[in-house]
Amino acid sequence: MRKRLIDQVSRLVLSSFLMLFTLTVFAEETAGDPAKGKSLFNSNCASCHKLDKKVVGPALAGITEKRDAEWLFSWIRNNQELRESGDADAIAIFEEYNGSVMTNFPQLSDEDITNILAYTDAAPAPKVVPVERGSGSASASEDTSYTNLYILGAVLLVLVLLLAKIKNTLKQVKGDPASTLIEEADVMTRTALKNPRIVTMLVLLVAIILLQQSYVAMVAVGITQDYQPEQPIKFSHRIHAGDNKIDCNYCHYGARKSMVSNIPSASVCMNCHTYIQEGAETGTEEINKIYAAVGFDPEEGKYIEDYEEQPINWVRIHDLPDLSYFNHSQHVTAGNVKCQTCHGPVEEMDEVYQYSPLTMGWCVNCHRETEVDVKSNAYYSDMHEKLKEKYGADAKITVDMIGGLECGKCHY
Amino acid sequence: MAENKKYWRGVEELTDSNLTQELSAKEFPTEIPTDEFLGNKEALEESSTSRRDFLKYMGFSTAAATLAACETPISESIPYVIAPEEIIPGVANYYATSFYDGHDFASILVKTREGRPIKVEHNKMAAINGGANARIHASVLNLYDATRMQSPMVNGEKADWSTVNKTVKAGLDAAEAGGKQIVMLTSTVISPSAQKLINEFGAQYSNFKHVSVDAFSFSGKLDAHKAASGTRALPLYHFNKAKVIASFGADFLGDWIGQSVAGDYATTRKPGKGMSRHIQFESNLSLTGSSADKRYKLTPTEMNTALVALYNELSGSSLAGGKTNFSNEIKSLAKELKAAGNEALVVSGSNNKDVESLTIAINQLLANEGTTISNDHHNLLRKGNDTAFNSLVADMNAGSVGAVLMDNVNPVYHFANNDKVMAGLKKVKTSVYFTEKNDETAQVVSVVCAKHNFLESWGDAMPATGHYALQQPTIQPLFDTKQMEDCLMAWSGNDGDYLDYMKANWGVGILGSSDWSTALHDGVLMSTTAPVMEEAATETESSEEEMEVETTGMDVSASASNLSKIKGAALELAVYQKSAMGTGNLANNPWLQELPDPISRVTWDNYLTVSAADALELGIENRNVSNGALNGSKVNITVNGKTIEGVPALIQPGQAKGTMGLALGYGRQGVGKVADAVGVNAFALMKDAQHTAAITVDVAEGEHEFACTQLAHTMMGRKIVNETTLDTFLNESPSNSRGDGWNQKVEYATFKGPMAADEVNLWDDFDHETGHMWNMSIDLNMCNGCGACVIACHAENNVPVVGKEEVRKSRDMHWLRIDRYYSSDMTEEVAEETGVSSFAKFDKMEDPSASPDVFFQPVMCQHCNHAPCETVCPVAATTHSNEGLNHMAYNRCIGTRYCANNCPYKVRRFNWFQYHDGSKSEFDINYSMNDDLGRMVLNPDVTVRSRGVMEKCSLCVQRIQLGKLEAKKAGRPVKDGDVTTACQSACDTGAISFGDVNDHNSEVFELKKDKRMYHLLEEVGTQPSIFYQTKVRNRA
Repeated sequence: MRKRLIDQVSRLVLSSFLMLFTLTVFAEETAGDPAKGKSLFNSNCASCHKLDKKVVGPALAGITEKRDAEWLFSWIRNNQELRESGDADAIAIFEEYNGSVMTNFPQLSDEDITNILAYTDAAPAPKVVPVERGSGSASASEDTSYTNLYILGAVLLVLVLLLAKIKNTLKQVKGDPASTLIEEADVMTRTALKNPRIVTMLVLLVAIILLQQSYVAMVAVGITQDYQPEQPIKFSHRIHAGDNKIDCNYCHYGARKSMVSNIPSASVCMNCHTYIQEGAETGTEEINKIYAAVGFDPEEGKYIEDYEEQPINWVRIHDLPDLSYFNHSQHVTAGNVKCQTCHGPVEEMDEVYQYSPLTMGWCVNCHRETEVDVKSNAYYSDMHEKLKEKYGADAKITVDMIGGLECGKCHY
Repeated sequence: MAENKKYWRGVEELTDSNLTQELSAKEFPTEIPTDEFLGNKEALEESSTSRRDFLKYMGFSTAAATLAACETPISESIPYVIAPEEIIPGVANYYATSFYDGHDFASILVKTREGRPIKVEHNKMAAINGGANARIHASVLNLYDATRMQSPMVNGEKADWSTVNKTVKAGLDAAEAGGKQIVMLTSTVISPSAQKLINEFGAQYSNFKHVSVDAFSFSGKLDAHKAASGTRALPLYHFNKAKVIASFGADFLGDWIGQSVAGDYATTRKPGKGMSRHIQFESNLSLTGSSADKRYKLTPTEMNTALVALYNELSGSSLAGGKTNFSNEIKSLAKELKAAGNEALVVSGSNNKDVESLTIAINQLLANEGTTISNDHHNLLRKGNDTAFNSLVADMNAGSVGAVLMDNVNPVYHFANNDKVMAGLKKVKTSVYFTEKNDETAQVVSVVCAKHNFLESWGDAMPATGHYALQQPTIQPLFDTKQMEDCLMAWSGNDGDYLDYMKANWGVGILGSSDWSTALHDGVLMSTTAPVMEEAATETESSEEEMEVETTGMDVSASASNLSKIKGAALELAVYQKSAMGTGNLANNPWLQELPDPISRVTWDNYLTVSAADALELGIENRNVSNGALNGSKVNITVNGKTIEGVPALIQPGQAKGTMGLALGYGRQGVGKVADAVGVNAFALMKDAQHTAAITVDVAEGEHEFACTQLAHTMMGRKIVNETTLDTFLNESPSNSRGDGWNQKVEYATFKGPMAADEVNLWDDFDHETGHMWNMSIDLNMCNGCGACVIACHAENNVPVVGKEEVRKSRDMHWLRIDRYYSSDMTEEVAEETGVSSFAKFDKMEDPSASPDVFFQPVMCQHCNHAPCETVCPVAATTHSNEGLNHMAYNRCIGTRYCANNCPYKVRRFNWFQYHDGSKSEFDINYSMNDDLGRMVLNPDVTVRSRGVMEKCSLCVQRIQLGKLEAKKAGRPVKDGDVTTACQSACDTGAISFGDVNDHNSEVFELKKDKRMYHLLEEVGTQPSIFYQTKVRNRA
């Protein structure tokens, strides 16, 4: 509890500090916006260029010092044209990189290019301390309710103390011997314990509380909501799906076609990480784990021959019991359900946790509320006519109306 | 009450008063052996565990268990490092391949999940043998048999392949240097590439021979065809063009000459004007005989004379030996055959050359060449030569063979003179045996080459002229094994691998204008221009004989006189193949062992089938014991001078008097704990590769315990299998006012007037108009009882195997059973005419007649729309779906078994034990669930059920859901044929149709309106989603 409060406070402090920092940067740089440049760089240039290292193309840090802006503008827009115009520098670079052609970017505006160049000029950004997972709205409300409870308790305690004081004062006024609060309580308990009714009530109360608590505990067996295990690679969905906006289906391609949404193979990671060899937050440490799995030498930029591949043992988070059949493609492709509906804001998660309870009640509830798109899918055309007769022309057709609550749809 | 009256609770009390006294004294008839334990003072004193210790341990283990339970185990999810392009986890891939084990051949599709083959499906593109039988459906489990040979062996020691290569090469060189024969012994080779390879291999040696031999030989038959047409090959039969079929002992729906004809046959069995007529002459009651319109019981000797008589009748000649007791039957058959002309077909099942010569002559008289028989295209699945094999055995014993290489054969098990084979093999210096099992032959050879399973091998096949098929691996080899072809290439100094060799071979002549990838994708290729397959290198000795045969041609009168010389014995044995076992190649397969024989319904056994009349004479008895299980006498049998003791005897209705049957493929040794010591080896009894012989039988001591899944033989006059004749079907209306129509609808008198059984409702109906309504139609005219559907169901739905003891207790778990009923001589009509009393009538109705009609009826959960099971479940574990299915939620089930009790069809199965618990030794025979390797065959889409829950047919709900999902994803309605059940797609004859009756374009919608349609036990008003089509026999 206390940790959370501290977290919140520290986060506040940190973010205001960051804000201040960025403001300072803004003040200094007037030529372009390196923040915008960074995102442009990541989406357009990062597959072949790095700031500090030669990859497919040359390292770009401090490129503005080497070349003048005008040259850079025309090279970026259309390097081929520049070469054909007989520009010696352009031809030299082309030959240096074994005639590999750089993509033309005619779509980039002057401002865009200025921003990118500003980014290449900016000193490497300070490593941001990974922020712990933002507490969702649920935990936030939980926090406040507990805080309220503590405040209430404190107020009550003060009240009791106050009343005891008043009572004592009154007693003193009456001339009776004063008694401490503890003595008072002691007498009261003794009298109460002699009363069989009160004892019975107490016993019953305790029993009921125990039963209720054990019921809650039993029901929760096997529910692993909020399960957030440590993974072998500190892979951040926030960076990939959030910042870089990679479609979930790019890596988890099975979700559209298959019952399982596959954990991507390291070979899928390599599509980008052949070139992106350094992470913004963890440097090379985590990305090297991919290379170790597939046998890739980042220095040489080549796969090691006859390498024995090392599987990556990810820890499974969403583990539905075998007795229930769940098909991703049914929901993703046929039902057009967003990944986030069940998996939560994955694009904000650094470490993924189980967002939904994955209980049958949770499934059933969604099946009761979710409307089926019977109009645009020809599969439902005949069924839809019949459903209109049954429920009316404008009725909202939910999954349960077409048999989505039947046992044998998921249990076989 | 008067004192002189005495009451007794049962006949037992009256006859044996001691018994009841005893029973009343003790509640449990068997004693609980407490004394044995507590009375043994020594043992008790020796044990050092005191009461205190016991409590300590118990306390500790309880605490430990509690603590251990606190932490949820971490499960990992390990993706491929490099994802294979073709695999999406969770999506099945299908590969076209071929099955061939030297006996069965089929072009099939293999379903794989995440790289594991889990199911066999039919290859519908194949023009020949595209339908797998029960054995081939089960073969996928043999891949995961942990008792397979896991590495090669040299002289009984585990070895590596380089040692094997060295030893074999040295052996071959020594044989060549010593001037001795080098022999390749195989089953019929149907692979053109392998044949080419064997010929090339042989060409290196000066004295090389290639001998092919078939386990169930048709060598005599082949010789007859050689004499008749000059080619030693069997013709292709076109049953789909036959109007009248006469079969003399040919079980062509079960096992015959390798060509699968059941599908073709079924196309002519649709009731109507063009329905074919099928007359069967046979000794054992076979699948084919059961489907026949008319069946005659003959001894094998009588069959010979009947055939001569038929020839005489058709040709007008009077050859000797045509005197038969069946002259009237033969006369009318001849008339029918003549009338059908070239649309008639006569086939025989014998391996006697003379019998086949006569059959050929009869077919020539009918001039059916080009319609029902084709000699342009040959069946190439049986080419074995017994003469060559016998001379090989003689040569081996004479010591003139220096090396022998064997593939796809198991000579020590499969051949009658196995002692000679064994002695011969021991004399051969280098004997190399390719096998998947450490079986009978493996024990006596010097080099055992552990062989790939067919699912791990490359290969090709030419099952018939112009029909090609390919075999491709569907999984990496599980063990350190190799295929024969790769070894042969290595030994002949050829460096490449067999795949390249085969590709090159296909490129030269077979592919023609098509390309390799398409052929591999399809698995089959029809080629008209392709050259004929290379002939096997024949040895010199037999060619002289063959020359002679050619010059003499076919001499019918000589054949007839040869046949007339065969004198029948008092008792004759005819060996046969069960649809589950065949020649026993896949014997170590629990699915097959537990598949009930379609006729006898016995599992886990072979036995001597005896007619009731012979049983009475010999004193053979069958009886049901108190829990209903079947016990039978044991007999000692002597055939061809060989005796087997303690063979169980089963009284078989429909068995010809004077004949007995014994199934092949049992009595295996060394193939694994499933098959070893099950049954007796019938191969060992036979001589000269004939399928019949004289037999003598003595009743032996003791009783055999059968595991039989069906105890009732007859329908007791009820409409369970509805049957009618073609005449009635064509000329009368199914229902009439007299109430005796051939498919009379059941009606009830209600206050609203007479109402059909499916209209009288106690409950509200479900809405069956909206969405799908899955229905299944089972055509009893098409079903021949083969059992492929039962195995397909096992594989698809992870149905457990329970073992013989449990089957005896009627605890078999088959979701789909094929009930078999015999007709009885006693019927309601007969009783009325003869004035038999009601008691006597029902008593006699239980007995099947001596020549019964046989009915097969596949029964699975009927998916009642007013299901009796659903209303009695206290926890709503079994519920109804709006698509007409009866759902079963295993995790909800608490095992009251009320549902099974209330089911009128008895299709619910209860898990009495944890059949998939590897630690329970009694079920570990079921390796499909009990070891890590075997479990790879399980279908990951279907739950493996736990102890204490009920299960039953789900109508393959996982396939339905998948079919719907694919349609939804593609944004189109479900088409007829998008969803198939496992049993439906395994059915070669199309007896099972499945679909959505709310889709008015579906086949099943039409079938539901058919006048043959009826529901099983319609009168109970369960309104099932499964319906049957009346069986129609083509007889007046």
